[in-house]
Amino acid sequence: MFIIREALIGLYRNGIMTLIAISIMFFSLFLFGLFLVGTFNLFGIIKVAREKVEINAFLREALQDGARDELIRKIETMVGVKSVEYVSKEQALEEFKREIPNATSLIEALKTNPLPPSFKIKLKDAFTSPDKVEEVASKLNIFSEIETVEYGETWIERLDQVVRVLFVFDVLLGIVISFASVFVVSNTIRLTVLARRQTIEVMKLVGATERTVQAPFILAGMIEGGIAGAISAGLLYLIYRLITIFFVKYYFPTIPIFIGMFVFGLILGFIGSKASVKSTSMEVSFATSYI
Amino acid sequence: MIEIRNVSKSLKKGWYALRDIDISINKGEFVFLTGPTGSGKSTLLRLIYMDIFPDKGEVAVVGFLSSTIKKHEIPFLRRRIGIIFQDFKLLQDKTVYENVAFALEVTGGSGRKMREKVMKALTLVGISHKRNEFPYRISGGEQQKAAIARALVREPFILLADEPTGNIDTEASMDIIKILQEINTSGTAVLMATHDVYLARKMGGRVIRLDEGRMVEW
Repeated sequence: MFIIREALIGLYRNGIMTLIAISIMFFSLFLFGLFLVGTFNLFGIIKVAREKVEINAFLREALQDGARDELIRKIETMVGVKSVEYVSKEQALEEFKREIPNATSLIEALKTNPLPPSFKIKLKDAFTSPDKVEEVASKLNIFSEIETVEYGETWIERLDQVVRVLFVFDVLLGIVISFASVFVVSNTIRLTVLARRQTIEVMKLVGATERTVQAPFILAGMIEGGIAGAISAGLLYLIYRLITIFFVKYYFPTIPIFIGMFVFGLILGFIGSKASVKSTSMEVSFATSYI
Repeated sequence: MIEIRNVSKSLKKGWYALRDIDISINKGEFVFLTGPTGSGKSTLLRLIYMDIFPDKGEVAVVGFLSSTIKKHEIPFLRRRIGIIFQDFKLLQDKTVYENVAFALEVTGGSGRKMREKVMKALTLVGISHKRNEFPYRISGGEQQKAAIARALVREPFILLADEPTGNIDTEASMDIIKILQEINTSGTAVLMATHDVYLARKMGGRVIRLDEGRMVEW
């Protein structure tokens, strides 16, 4: 009870310092939130791109329904395969006409349909890297019914490279932002703790244990962090709404952002205040200018 | 009750603030610790409330030994000692009442019992009528009285006073010393550091005089 009251009194009576601390924490957390939204969207885009990774297995000839279904079942049981879709000669032709309308007359001139039937094989997310795709593709060659297997090697390799670079960049940025936030917030809280150094001094003078000395400051730091986190999440949400109304739609994971920002605020407040109050408490000595 | 045995303390390399100090203070005593500025009075008090530790010798305070006390035990020693300073060390964002209550609250005090103790201490030093004032709104003498009330509210066995009259006028100083004497009469020992040897002599009682870290009278 004393700890909660002391934390709230400390925040209220040192209002300006509290406001400064919350503002600085807000900016740090807002930056962190932008990073989070960016990361979520980046991985969203990567996921969509990965879903486009597919293997086309062209058949030698059209199969009877029974044989076809049997082959689909076999392929579906292969490791890494998510789904198998049969594309008949007719469907292939329709698709061709749709995708390359200029070549329609050329196809019609042939009079027969030169396109083979095929299987469109989608892969599970974990099997979309170039080597895994190749592994599945090579296994498909075992089936005598399949003539050729295509999977857009170059495109998949490029996607993989882009994902790797973006991932490393994202992780590095995340580390830099997190450390910068911890550093800035710790120093801000340190100022608020130093401003109340005499409280720590008096607490130690009258026999408060180290835990009692630290607890109100840690709680106050967490309250500041939590408020700053909630405000920055709110602002991010507002910006998201405005952008989606006027410009593009992007992915905004509302609940994870709110929880993430609030928790990160609490953690920042905890780390910052714990470190500051501990070091200040260690420094406190009743040494006077006289001996 | 307080035993200082053959204590030396260096605060700077090669320079001793205290050298070969031997003092014993008994229950209920009133002791003046005098000497010019820089003679080691504050250092001696800091050794008693274990803000610093001797380089040589030992300090024993109600069963706590400077050589064996653990860091987490120091608060428990401080709860048995009342300490006041020249600069009062009152929290400016708390009222007089809150400052005094604070000493009990940090160790879990609350409720009616605590309020009674705080009011008793404030009445004893004669500033219960100023209980709702903030320290910056009252005089130096009154601030020191509030500090004394805070030191007394835990009913310590000894009150350590480090130049308690250093920042207040003569009239208020006499008032403070009178309060300290009253406290002493009721059984609490008082160890008062002052550079004013004449004041100490005038008040009577035991005088320990320090000079350049050594005891020259005891």
